[in-house]
Amino acid sequence: MAKSDLALMAHLLRRAGFGATRDEIEEYAEKGYEDVVEDLVNPERCPPLDEDIISRYYDGENHVIWTSTWMYRMIVTRRPLVEKMALFWHHVFATGAGKVEHGPSMINQIQMFRKHGFGDFRTLLVELSRDPAMIFWLDNNENRLGEPNENYGRELLELFSMGAGNYSEDDIKNASRAFTGWTFTQPIPLYPQGHHPSEFVFKPQEHDYGPKTFLGESGNFDGEDIIDIIVRQEATARFIARHLYNFYVADEPQVPAWPIEPPQDQEAIDAIVQTYFDTGGDMRAIMRMILLSDFFKEARFKKVKSPTELVTGVLKLGGSITAPQPGIGRYQAATGLMGQQLLNPPTVEGWHTGREWIDGGTLNERINFAVEHIGDAEKPGVQEIIRRLGGNGDGGSARLSPEDFTERCLTLAGPLDVGEQTRQTLLDYARSGGTLDLSAPEERGKSVPRVVHMLQMIVSSKEYQFA
Amino acid sequence: MTINGKDPVLVVVQLTGGNDFMNTIIPYNNPVYYDSRPTVVIPQDQVLPIDDDLAFNPNAAPLKEMYDAGKVAVVQGIGYANSSRSHFRAMDIWHTCEPVKVGTEGWLGRTIREIDPQKENVLTAVNIGRGLPRALSAPGVPVTSVGDLDNVGLMTSIEERERRDKALDMFKKMYAPAIGSGAVMEYLAQTGSDVYTGADVLKQAPAMYESDVEYADNSIAKSLKDVARTHMAGLGTRIFYTSHGGYDHHANELKSHPQLMRELSGAISDFFDDLRAHDAAEEVTMLVFTEFGRRMRDNGSGTDHGSGGGAFLIGERVNGGLYSEYPSLDPARWLNGEDLDWTYDFRGIYSTVLDQWLGLDPVPIVDGQFEQLKPFARG
Amino acid sequence: MGRPYGLLRAGYPYLKTLGMRRITNFPLDIAIGDEGRLYILCRNDGAALIRVWSIDDAERLTDDLVGIGSYGSGEGQYTWPVNIIRDADENLYVSDEALHRIVSFSREGEYIGSWGEAGEAEGQLNGPAGIAFDADENMLVVDSLNHRVQKFSREGEFIGGWGSFGDGPGEFDMPWGVTVDELGYVYVVDWRNDRVQKFDSDGEFVFEIGSSGDGPGELNRPAGVAVDRFGDIYVADTGNNRVQLFNEHGRYVQRFIGDSTLSRVARDYMLTNAYPNRLRDMADLEGEKRLRAPKNVRVDDDLMFVPDYRSYRVQVYKNEAIPLDEHQISEPLRAPTLATV
Repeated sequence: MAKSDLALMAHLLRRAGFGATRDEIEEYAEKGYEDVVEDLVNPERCPPLDEDIISRYYDGENHVIWTSTWMYRMIVTRRPLVEKMALFWHHVFATGAGKVEHGPSMINQIQMFRKHGFGDFRTLLVELSRDPAMIFWLDNNENRLGEPNENYGRELLELFSMGAGNYSEDDIKNASRAFTGWTFTQPIPLYPQGHHPSEFVFKPQEHDYGPKTFLGESGNFDGEDIIDIIVRQEATARFIARHLYNFYVADEPQVPAWPIEPPQDQEAIDAIVQTYFDTGGDMRAIMRMILLSDFFKEARFKKVKSPTELVTGVLKLGGSITAPQPGIGRYQAATGLMGQQLLNPPTVEGWHTGREWIDGGTLNERINFAVEHIGDAEKPGVQEIIRRLGGNGDGGSARLSPEDFTERCLTLAGPLDVGEQTRQTLLDYARSGGTLDLSAPEERGKSVPRVVHMLQMIVSSKEYQFA
Repeated sequence: MTINGKDPVLVVVQLTGGNDFMNTIIPYNNPVYYDSRPTVVIPQDQVLPIDDDLAFNPNAAPLKEMYDAGKVAVVQGIGYANSSRSHFRAMDIWHTCEPVKVGTEGWLGRTIREIDPQKENVLTAVNIGRGLPRALSAPGVPVTSVGDLDNVGLMTSIEERERRDKALDMFKKMYAPAIGSGAVMEYLAQTGSDVYTGADVLKQAPAMYESDVEYADNSIAKSLKDVARTHMAGLGTRIFYTSHGGYDHHANELKSHPQLMRELSGAISDFFDDLRAHDAAEEVTMLVFTEFGRRMRDNGSGTDHGSGGGAFLIGERVNGGLYSEYPSLDPARWLNGEDLDWTYDFRGIYSTVLDQWLGLDPVPIVDGQFEQLKPFARG
Repeated sequence: MGRPYGLLRAGYPYLKTLGMRRITNFPLDIAIGDEGRLYILCRNDGAALIRVWSIDDAERLTDDLVGIGSYGSGEGQYTWPVNIIRDADENLYVSDEALHRIVSFSREGEYIGSWGEAGEAEGQLNGPAGIAFDADENMLVVDSLNHRVQKFSREGEFIGGWGSFGDGPGEFDMPWGVTVDELGYVYVVDWRNDRVQKFDSDGEFVFEIGSSGDGPGELNRPAGVAVDRFGDIYVADTGNNRVQLFNEHGRYVQRFIGDSTLSRVARDYMLTNAYPNRLRDMADLEGEKRLRAPKNVRVDDDLMFVPDYRSYRVQVYKNEAIPLDEHQISEPLRAPTLATV
C-alpha cells in the first residue's frame, strides 16, 4: 500500500468521519478512494449502527447520556458521514440546551439532521422550521398574527441560508409573518415523571394569511413559500458552500466576517455553488463533489480539529471503544472542557472554529486528554502500533533505528505531517535511547514505554491539533 | 491605583447551582418565611441575627464573625429582569453581562484585556479549576487554568517524575516560536509556550508557601488555599476565579446546604486569616455570587430554581454591612407568583468593583451605566 | 402447593404508583422485602442506587432517603447493576454487568461480599444480567454476553449451566432476565431473539413464548420475566412499552400498557410547583399514564410491580383472579365454539 494512498485515506476519514484505526485506514484504502467516497455519501451501503445495544446500555435521559451516546455513535458507526453531517448542521443551525432544556427535542433535532442532512436543502429548511427545539430556541412559538416575533425569520436569513447583507429589514418582517402559527405542542413537564415529547403543530388562528412581499416576489406566502424563494437565491448557495468549505475543507474566518472577507478559495466555492444549482441543492451530490475535488484532497491539516474531532480521533486511535462501556460520560466532559459542549453551542452563531478553539485552558485540556488516553500501553490501538512496529506487517522490524522508530510512529499514528521542529525533537528523543528493540521479551520491557512516550509526544504536538 | 504599593486583586467565587439566598441571609422575623418554608426552614432560635429582620445561616458562623468585624458587604436582592431559571443560561448571563441576547465574551475577559493589554503576564488571570469559565474568556486573552496547584499544567497523567520532565522538555521544544510556519501554527506555538511558562512559574508557588493556617479538607478550601498560595507567591495575578459546586438543592437541602455553608464560610475565613498572617490581605477583595436564588416555597425536601439571589463582597477594605434592599416577602410582590423579585442589577456590583476597586472604566466592560454601591472604605 | 385447575380472571386493576424523579430515577428492577419493604434498583450511566422504599409510599417527601450501596467500582459498589433479588433472610443480591460480579448486602445495607470473575470459561461471567434463586437457593445467572445461563451456589461456587449463541431451542442471543417458578422451571428472557424460553431445572428446553413484533403475544426486545403462584407468566416487553401476561402453557392472555396516576410523593412535590402545574394544564396528559420501557416485572402474592424505567416510577397492579377447581371450569376445548351456554 503506497504511503500517499494511506495518508489521503486518513485525511478523508478525519474530515468525512472521526478518524480511523490503522486497520480501518488500510481496509478503506484497499477499496480505493472513489469507492469509499461513494460509501460515505450512500450510507445505506454500509451496515447501520446497532441501535438495540445503544438502548440496552445507554438508556436514560440527561445531557450527559445524550451527548455521550452521540459520541459513541461517532466512534463506532460504519456510516461516519451521517454523524459528521449531523455535527455540521448542528454547527450551522446551532440550537442550545442552555435555553432548550427539553432534551428530547434537542435529540430529535439531531436525529432530523441524520435523516435529512443528506437530502435536498429545501426539505432540510422546512424540517428545521418545523423543529420544536428550533422553534423554541428562536421564539417562533411567540410569533403570531398581529404580534410577529422576528427572531426566527431574521436568523433563518442571516445565519441559516443567505447571510447578512442579502435582504432587507422588510424581507425579515415578511418572512416572519409567513411563519406565524408554526409552533409546537406543550410537552408534559419533566417533573415528576419524566420528559414527554413535543411535536410541531400549525395553528391557523395564529397564522397571518395576508399578502407578503419577500425578495421582490409577492403573494400570500406561508413558510414553505418563503423557503422556496430562499433556496433559489445564489446568496444561499454561496453561504452554505462557505459553511461546507469551512467545516470540511479548510478554516475560514468566523461567519460575521464573511460579508467583508472574501473566501480563501473562490474557485472552490464557485464549484460547490455550481453543484448546488445543478442538483437542486442535493447535499449528497454536493458532498460527493467536495470529497472528490482536488481542493479537498490538497487541504490536509488545514483545519484546527474541533474538540469533538480531537477527542473522537484520540479514542479511535486508542481503539478501546467498540461496544458500550461504563464511564463514557467523561469523554463528553472532555470536549466541554476544551470548549465544545455538544448540544449546547454558545449562541445561535454556533461555535467559533479554527484557531478560536485554542486558548491556554483548552490547549492544556487537549494535550492532557490525549496524553492520558494514549499513555496506556494496554489499549488495543497502542498494542496494534507496537505489533506493527515489531515487524508484524508493513515494513516494521524487530529492531528499528531511531530514524525509523520516529518515522514509523508518525506514520502509524496518522500519517501525520510534522514540521522540522517537531520532527527534530522526536528524533532527538528516539536517538537518546538508541535502537528500538522489540525482538525479545526483556528488550520489549524497555522498548514499549519508549513507544508509548513517543506516541504521547506525537499527540501533544502542534501538528496533531490539525485535521 | 495601588494599596500599600500593591496592585488590587479580585477573587471571584462562583456558587454553582443557585444558592438559596433566603436560607443564607434569613428574614427570621417574617412570618411569610416560615409559611413558605414548612420544611426547608432554619428555626428562629438557631439563626445568627444581624438586626431585627435578618440573620445569617447558623452554619455560616465564620462569615458572620467577619461580618461583625465589618469586612463583609451583603448585596441583597441581586438579579436582573426576566431572570432565567436555566442554570446554563443564567450562568451565561452573569458571565457575559448579556441578559437579552446571547453573548460570548466574558466580563472578566474584557477586564483582563484592560489590565494587561500587551499580554505581558500569562498569570494576570488564574482560574482555579478545569476548563475556562466563560466569564474569563475573550479572544486573545490568555488565562491560566489550574486544576490542582500541586500537579499543575501539562502531562499531569505521567506520574513518573523523570519521564514527565522529559515530556515537558520536549513539549517546550516542540512549541518554541516557529517564525514562518503560518499564523495559526505560530499562534499555537505561542499559546503552548504560555501554558508551559504559566505552569512552570506556578509550580514554584507551593514551595514558597508556608503557613500556620490549616484549611479544611474540601474542594472550596482547597481552591482558596491555591488562590492564597498563588497570590502570596507574587506572580502578578490580578484576577482569580474559582467555583464551589453543589448548590442545586431540589431535594435534601436540609442535609447538604448546611454542609456547603460550613465549607464556604470556613474556607473564606481561613483564606483571609492566611492572607493577613502574611501581610497580603489588604489588596484583596472577594466577590461571591450565584446564578439565581431559589423558589419562595419549599417542595417538601428542597427548593426549586427561582430568582432574587444575593452576593457578598469581602475584604479588609470593605465597609461591611447590608447593601441594596432585601426583596419583598409580600406574596403580592412575588415574581411569577412564586419567586423573590430582584432589587439590584448584578451589573451594578460588577461596575462597583471595576470602578472603585480595579480603577477601570466599567461602562464598556459591563456594557452600560449601572448604579454603583459604595462598599469600599477610603484610604 | 399445587396450581389451581383454572382461574376466574375477575380483573387486574391498576392499584398505585410509587416514586418520582429524584427519588427513583430510572428504576429497572425491584426486590420485595417483608412487611412492605421495597428495594428499588435505579440506574443511569454515571449513577446508580438502591432506594429503600415502602409499599405504602411516604406521607411526604422525606429527607431521610435511605439507599443501599453506591455507584462505583469499589467494594460494596455497583456500576451497571441489572437485577436485584433477595434470599430467605432478606439479604440482597445485585448483578453488575460492568464489573462482572454479584454483590450482596444485608437489608440494613451492610456490605456482605461479592463474587464473579470476568471471562468466558466455565464459571466466568461476561455481562451478568438476570439473576434468580432456585428452591435450593442456588443462583441462576444469565451470563448475557456469553449467551448462556450458569448456576452458582449463593457464595459463587460454579455448579453448572447451559446455552450457547444462536436462535434455536436452548440457544440465546444476549439473554437478559430470568426467573424460577415454584415447580423449579426456569424462564429465560432471550432478549435479541424476542422470546422467553422455559427450561426444566436441568436446562432441558420445554417451550418458548413470543416472536418478533408488536401484536398480541409478540415481543420487541423483552427484558424481564416473572411467574406467579398460579403459573401465569409475565413478560416485560420493553420495546413495546408494555407487560404481557401468558398463562402457564404460554398462551397470551392480556397486556398492561400503564394506567399511572401521580404517586403520593409526586403530588406533594407538585403542590409547591406553580409553573409545571401550569404546563401540565396545557399538555395532553394521555401519555403520562403509559409504561415506558419497563425493564422488569415482579409479582408478590397478588401484586404486580412494574419498574417504569423512563417514567421514574413503579406501577403496581392487583390481581383479582379467583382459583377454580374442576367443578368450576369445564374441560379444555380443542376448538373455539359459538355455543354460548
